[in-house]
Amino acid sequence: METTPQILEVKEVTMRFGGIVALDGLNLSLRAGELRCILGPNGCGKTTLFNVLTGALRPTSGTVSFQGAMISGKSPAAIARLGISRKFQVPGIYPELSVIENIALPLAAANRHPGVWSLLRQRPDRARIAELMGFAGLSQKGHVTAAELSHGEKQKLEVMMLLATDADLLLLDEPTAGMSKGETSAIAALIRKLTSELGKTVLVIEHDMNFVRELDCPVTVMARGTVIADGSYDEVRHDPRVIECYLGRAA
Amino acid sequence: MTRRLPLFLTIGIWVLLLLAPLALDDWRISQLAQFLTYGLFALSLAFIWGQAGILCFGQAIFFGIGAYLMALITLGKLPLLGESQWTGIILGAVGGGVGAFGLALFMLGGRGLSGAHLAIVTLCAAVVAEVAAQRWDFIGGFNGLLGVPPLVAPYTRDDMFLSSNETYFLVLAIVMAVYLLLLLISRSSFGTLLAAIRSNENRTRYFGFDVTVAKLFAFSLAGMISGLAGALFTAQFGFVSPPLVGFGLSTEVLIWVAVGGREVLLAAFVGAIFVRWVENLLSDKLGQYWLLAMGLMFIFVVILAPRGLFGRILNLSKSR
Repeated sequence: METTPQILEVKEVTMRFGGIVALDGLNLSLRAGELRCILGPNGCGKTTLFNVLTGALRPTSGTVSFQGAMISGKSPAAIARLGISRKFQVPGIYPELSVIENIALPLAAANRHPGVWSLLRQRPDRARIAELMGFAGLSQKGHVTAAELSHGEKQKLEVMMLLATDADLLLLDEPTAGMSKGETSAIAALIRKLTSELGKTVLVIEHDMNFVRELDCPVTVMARGTVIADGSYDEVRHDPRVIECYLGRAA
Repeated sequence: MTRRLPLFLTIGIWVLLLLAPLALDDWRISQLAQFLTYGLFALSLAFIWGQAGILCFGQAIFFGIGAYLMALITLGKLPLLGESQWTGIILGAVGGGVGAFGLALFMLGGRGLSGAHLAIVTLCAAVVAEVAAQRWDFIGGFNGLLGVPPLVAPYTRDDMFLSSNETYFLVLAIVMAVYLLLLLISRSSFGTLLAAIRSNENRTRYFGFDVTVAKLFAFSLAGMISGLAGALFTAQFGFVSPPLVGFGLSTEVLIWVAVGGREVLLAAFVGAIFVRWVENLLSDKLGQYWLLAMGLMFIFVVILAPRGLFGRILNLSKSR
């Protein structure tokens, strides 16, 4: 099997909030074009990890490198310009703006240098916007304000916003939160297409086991701020450390 | 959401303004030219408040800077800069922009202020600016500067002063040019960025945009337009005084924009003209009670049409 280059490397990252250790010497690496899911119970440090990767938090110790460049400590905007885009647990869309405007904005950031002068000269690329709306099944809703979309459509819209940035690494924080079973399956299919058809590297945070099974990708399990297991869905499901973490130890 | 008036209404408003000299006498046209200046001032606030969501309680600071610079230059108090009114107009705009840039840099630098905190700082800045203007003898102190000459023709002729109609068309041309500029900006990708900052500022950073630079640019541009309006005001009224940089006028322009509708540039512009016209009408008819009537009108407008009177009446088209 052909090995693709490493795109992200998290080395011994620790994040402390006073006496609380949210991440404890965490190590993680991703290869270009890989789809990986991070699984773990609430409070295990998944979202803190995303906050460190996207510059919302500066790690107490350890390093994060992306495409060979050190990114730990950089601002969220600087990291985004390097090619990392993040989807938030509560959809990070612009409720007052139309679907077209929601996609047009990150599209304007796709050249990675979205300065004032270049933005003043730019007009939205209608063809690319239409293409992205079609990819998410939102073609008929271009002029609808994002606030009027269903929860599932909002989640899809935000994924399309990430795609519009042309980022190399997409971080998806619980993309199926609050969704019905049907919507969850549709999102799983959409995420698989991101890697299989578009060649994106995708890291997904999730705690819904059924959704993780549907993604059919390598899984990293976190507990108490560190990685406790790595492997396929079936491998981690039978791992005693994972079972203990989710169900507790027998009395 | 980025809102706009239907095209026929936009064109209709400008055509009406272009044809106004045919229907109005000299005095009314002079008055309308003054209202246009207030409309220009309102456009500047609508741009940062309606488009970018920056609520500024000190917009008059930049209007006042433009007004004072125009007066100082045309009265020959800054001899190095000459006494030309055109220099006054240009430097009035530049001065407003530089003042806005300085204040914005102070507020948005570092972790940056936003929302109510930013509004409070601008309010305090307006109070400080007014007190400073009252104490500064060089710019006339409490009395301000009087005897600013009216606009003159840019070429030699018998009567150098512009007629009422000429002044009106000059101001209208400047207002139309500024409106078109702001419209183009609001329809560019930068306009979408400002709307996004208004809607969800923090999220916007995660797309790689430098939110602080965008707000700094928008605030400075609005300051320039306010300074330009201030310079034109001085040339028409012939004087400048400390209240022009203060909290009172800053609040008034907020009311004009709120009554018109902050989300639509042209609605805010028409709102300013409408409120000034109603103020004149009420002060004629009601004497000392006109302020009471205005206050009641503002309260009703804000409650019944929170998106602005013209936003409501003209049934805004939904989005671009």
